[in-house]
Amino acid sequence: MISEALMYIGGILVIIGGICDFFGALGLLRFPHFYVRLHAATVGTIGGAVVPLIGAAILALGCDFLGWIRYPIAGMSFITAILILMVSPTATHALAFAAHRSKAIEWKEKVCDHLEGVRR
Amino acid sequence: MNAENLLFMILMIAFPFYLAAFVLYSIRIVKGPTIFDSVLAVDCLSFDLAAFIAILAIYFRSAFLATSAIILALWAFLLDLYLAKYFLKREVGI
Repeated sequence: MISEALMYIGGILVIIGGICDFFGALGLLRFPHFYVRLHAATVGTIGGAVVPLIGAAILALGCDFLGWIRYPIAGMSFITAILILMVSPTATHALAFAAHRSKAIEWKEKVCDHLEGVRR
Repeated sequence: MNAENLLFMILMIAFPFYLAAFVLYSIRIVKGPTIFDSVLAVDCLSFDLAAFIAILAIYFRSAFLATSAIILALWAFLLDLYLAKYFLKREVGI
């Protein structure tokens, strides 16, 4: 009973993660330049990796036919979810800062840029 | 419904989205105009592969397969930090 409910919750989270992943990839392909693509990348990592990892942890806890193996799979999935939740904003932030500082991206139709006059 | 059939049905619904997303990320990696777009796509692809590996570990009933997800996520983070530091310190334009 409880294991079946856990399987349904985990499955729903995994399917939501797949849909977020698909739309993040679509946005990463269709958006015009790098700073807008960061938004789609956030959808692709937080919605597409953290949510299905938590879903995989719950799904693995619900699978009775796995035996004792479900506990290490659930633990490692949960640890990886927390790790990606901490690591992914740091990585994209460092990447955006380096791209802005090294002036590698052509950015037309600029509305406002608060970092433009800042010098180290 | 049997538990294994339920798991199989969930994976059959979820897998086409993941595979389509991997193909789209690969297109962005190949055709990205600057190196930052490619590395951002590699970042997303690695994190999503970590999630995919954790789901595959349930399907293949192997605990060792889920170990590699942590290492894959940390390598993607390390790639981003190395690229950011290289472009900040050396100031190499593209």
